[in-house]
Amino acid sequence: MSGETILGLPARRTALVTLAVLVVAPFVLPTFQTYVLSEVLVLALFATGFNLLYGYTGLLSFGHAMFFGGAGYALGIFLRDVAPMLPFGGATPLLAFVIAAVLGVVVATAIAVPVGYLSVRLEEIYFAMLTLSFSMALYTLVNQNYFGVTNGSDGILVLLQTANLFGFQLSLYDRVTYYFVILLVVAPSMYILWRVANSPFGLVSEAIRENSERASGLGIDVRRHQWAAFVLSAVFTGIAGVLVAPLHSSLSPGASLHWTISAEPVIMTVFGGPYSFIGPTVGALFYRYIRWGITQFPLLEAHWQLVFGTLILVIVVFAPRGVSGLLTWVVDRVRGNGGESA
Amino acid sequence: MALPIQEILTGLSLGSRYFLVAIGLSLIFGVLGVLNFAHGALYMIGAYVSLTVVQNVTGSFWVGLVAAGLAVGLLGAIIEMGLIRRVYDRDELDQLILTFALVLIITDLTRTVWGSGNQTMATPELLASNVQFLGTSYPAYRLFVIVVGFAAMGVFWYAIQRTYLGRLVRATSSDRDMAALLGVNVPRLYTGVFFVGSFLAGIGGALAAPMQAFTPALGDQVIINAFVIVVIGGLGSFTGAFVGAMFIGLLQSFGVLVATGVGQLLPFLAMILVLIFRPEGLFGGEGQ
Repeated sequence: MSGETILGLPARRTALVTLAVLVVAPFVLPTFQTYVLSEVLVLALFATGFNLLYGYTGLLSFGHAMFFGGAGYALGIFLRDVAPMLPFGGATPLLAFVIAAVLGVVVATAIAVPVGYLSVRLEEIYFAMLTLSFSMALYTLVNQNYFGVTNGSDGILVLLQTANLFGFQLSLYDRVTYYFVILLVVAPSMYILWRVANSPFGLVSEAIRENSERASGLGIDVRRHQWAAFVLSAVFTGIAGVLVAPLHSSLSPGASLHWTISAEPVIMTVFGGPYSFIGPTVGALFYRYIRWGITQFPLLEAHWQLVFGTLILVIVVFAPRGVSGLLTWVVDRVRGNGGESA
Repeated sequence: MALPIQEILTGLSLGSRYFLVAIGLSLIFGVLGVLNFAHGALYMIGAYVSLTVVQNVTGSFWVGLVAAGLAVGLLGAIIEMGLIRRVYDRDELDQLILTFALVLIITDLTRTVWGSGNQTMATPELLASNVQFLGTSYPAYRLFVIVVGFAAMGVFWYAIQRTYLGRLVRATSSDRDMAALLGVNVPRLYTGVFFVGSFLAGIGGALAAPMQAFTPALGDQVIINAFVIVVIGGLGSFTGAFVGAMFIGLLQSFGVLVATGVGQLLPFLAMILVLIFRPEGLFGGEGQ
């Protein structure tokens, strides 16, 4: 895990080329493909945020839907109930979105602080189960509409509108416009995550993952550090959550908070490879495009769960380091250094 | 006084069904160290197999019950030999993901074979009536389910604590390598344990079939409850699985009295409290 390569390629150059491709992509791609790419970006952030906790710190959360959906719900409820009362004139749709998004991330963080404090006291499978039950408790609360604002299992609509900025019309709901909104948030978020992962904080995380007792012996406050990693992971998951709600135009307990949503970053991470920074992103790319590929064939689409399940099975059994492990291996072979690095 | 007895019986019959799933989940975790996500899907298959046997083959509920147990047990054994065996030495995450993939596959195949609509099954004639019990009238079938649950616990306890095979299982679960050195055929024992766990899940599903309309999503609902139960009871503890199952059954049946939906929320709150104050579960500990 040398900090300066991605898939065996120089990190900085690869990142810049990727960014350039992402900026140009919507001008080349059909609108629907831009939409799919928007989803890939959000899922990549979701999975990388998750992996900060799993791959780096060694804690398997099975409840990240609570931050993903929790942040989305906070945004959606604000946009529905509060935004119409805001006094910003033509700029309201944009400012309301920004305020709602910040609020959503704050809510995800506010959930993560106490839940993380309690969860990191447990290890391994118990940690996974505790995060799962917290998130299912939130799912049940929202699904039963206990707070009276979540509209139960019907969910709520999240619709962005056109902002009028001194005569300039900005249609936030437009697929291409919203793609750039997402890119504008995801790119710096990924950069920050990269910096965190390659900072002393990331090193300490890895030390804890490898051997928490030895880390503790080195004078590291393991619990406190795990708690910090938990909250940080939830913050980025929350950012992904506030971005995805307007993209899908809707929120529902089943599609935002259910445990199957918590399984998504786990699957993407396993697809891509958990012990590298870029693994979850590669996983998100595969995950989304495989699903898209499946929809191209009616027979496969009718049985996408079967196809998908089989694929996961094959990867887990035969490629334990995921797709990025395989790609790194291939890149290394092609460049002739044949060494192990991931 | 009639009301609490009704609630208690409903809770116990729910608990008995949960127990049949939780015990298999707990057994497989305790011995093999694998948290089997697909266990709920196996339970769901049990319901469908018994439905088909009863409706299309024999018409006998009892044959359906046994057939469901055997078919699901066999399926479990095949899954263990073909797939799970490959990941024993891997990360817990790999095992979890593998069994999660199985959930997707099994659910899809079930939908293909039986359709995704609601299925219902008649209560077996012998047990279709109500019984006067402790001053209240209660469906005989639910009482029967309670009896099966308690009987399963009895048989299980006896088999584990008092038989030679039970000793082998306990020995292997506490030290696999030592057991292998002493001549236990560990791979065969593992397959056997997976068979028994799956068999019980199949029986559980078959018992549940006449009590509610079900779809291929049945497994999703059941597995989360089973997780809650084994965590509350203590992963790998059989007494814990029993007490946990009955506790959650009662909590749900009494929760309905408090407010709608509370019955679904209470299990998670109970699990959170148990994990915070006693992470190893009420009956958990080292060894088992």
